[in-house]
Amino acid sequence: MINKVVGSFDEAMADVQSGAMIHFGGFANPHNTPNYLIAALARRGADQLTGVSTYAGHGEEVQRELFERRNLEPLPDGWDLGLMAELGRLGKLITSFPNGNSRELLYPFEHVLRRGEAEVEVLGQGSIAERIRCARAGIPAFYTPVGVGTFVAEGKEVREFDGVAHILETALKADFALIRAHRADRFGNLVFRGPRTFNQTMAGAAAVTVAEVDEVVPLGELGPDEIHTPGVYVQRVVVRPSTPLDDWRTPA
Amino acid sequence: MSEQPELLDESVMAMVAARDLPDGAIVNLGLGLPLALSDYIPPDREVLFHSEQGIVGFGARVFDPAEMDPLLMNAGGEPVASAPGMSYMSHDESFAMIRGGHIDVTVLGALQVDAQGNLANAQIPGKPAPGLGGGQDLATCAKQVLVVMRHVAPNGDPKIVERCDMVLTALGCVDRVVTDVGLFEIADGRVTLLEYAPGWTVDQIQAITGAELAVAEDVREIVLI
Repeated sequence: MINKVVGSFDEAMADVQSGAMIHFGGFANPHNTPNYLIAALARRGADQLTGVSTYAGHGEEVQRELFERRNLEPLPDGWDLGLMAELGRLGKLITSFPNGNSRELLYPFEHVLRRGEAEVEVLGQGSIAERIRCARAGIPAFYTPVGVGTFVAEGKEVREFDGVAHILETALKADFALIRAHRADRFGNLVFRGPRTFNQTMAGAAAVTVAEVDEVVPLGELGPDEIHTPGVYVQRVVVRPSTPLDDWRTPA
Repeated sequence: MSEQPELLDESVMAMVAARDLPDGAIVNLGLGLPLALSDYIPPDREVLFHSEQGIVGFGARVFDPAEMDPLLMNAGGEPVASAPGMSYMSHDESFAMIRGGHIDVTVLGALQVDAQGNLANAQIPGKPAPGLGGGQDLATCAKQVLVVMRHVAPNGDPKIVERCDMVLTALGCVDRVVTDVGLFEIADGRVTLLEYAPGWTVDQIQAITGAELAVAEDVREIVLI
């Protein structure tokens, strides 16, 4: 019998080792971020991680400030990659936004970079997305016109197609992909809610893809026409608590 | 220095940029000033707004908490309205759409733009590393690149220059620029003033511009309709 549902977030993160490469799903919004997987990873304590994420995370303080500015209710459990930055767990980050986009707010990873405590590889968001998709699809590399003539192209192979210069980008396969979806069944089939962001892109682009979901439904309830990501790409599913927690240190 | 005429405010800049978006266009809105454009589309025009995280067809920004969907935001994290015909996708699909040339207009903020159409918007002064977001993909692959920015940087430096000296995002890509003093076209190594803000003269605009300006034959004061 196939059952990918895992009993706790701590169990789902128990085998993450220091030095692992990890895809962090979502897009700059705690509502589409795998908050509880990130909290469990923080409790796990693995460090020198290489993170792959479109942005470097808000952290608790910046997130509260941004939400208040937009008249949105701050979340008690909106943990994101900023928590990993604050705890010093990132050895390297591959990202399109190493900084916050606000001049006056300092995001946690900016402090890490200023102290010289982590490496950063900055790359356009589309090239990151395609490097991840290629890992899922078994394609080792691809050519793109994006980044030609800029710092992104340094050290990369250049080749012309139809008279246009392209650079070679390689697939980014991770050890773990932490993603957020709305509903799942025990096969790991997923349905997302809202923009599917890097959550759908990263599913299947790691040795172990773990999906944090609002609800697991009986097999068969998600019909073949509505499943966004087949369970083939997902190894573990964990359900979010029905009552939000307010401390990342609390086992879940 | 003589007294300057009034600068256009941000909402008027957004209206000027939105004014020229054609019916049926697929348009991506970048961080900063461009995000306001979705508020200013005339009701008789259907423009499909695209956002990197996987949305096509969202509506105006939402300021009333009771009407917000916390999952539905623009690229800058501001809540926006859903609209009939809107669709969602993944990040890789969203960028296949961009890279594949399906976006008609990308509206981007900038730190510097030069006469060759080069764009610099990655290295915000004071930040520890350059940031690209989706701007590099968009500037390289969209059919038209429209920049909306202040004409002069906070430190007084001109932002339209002969040659960018800041970290480049993409080469030879910018087609048009809306600033708080006018509307400009960039083509064939030349910056041309098409429209000027009320009260401004060509000489006053040239004085705060770092590249030599050509002036369109039919140059006119900006009108919003």
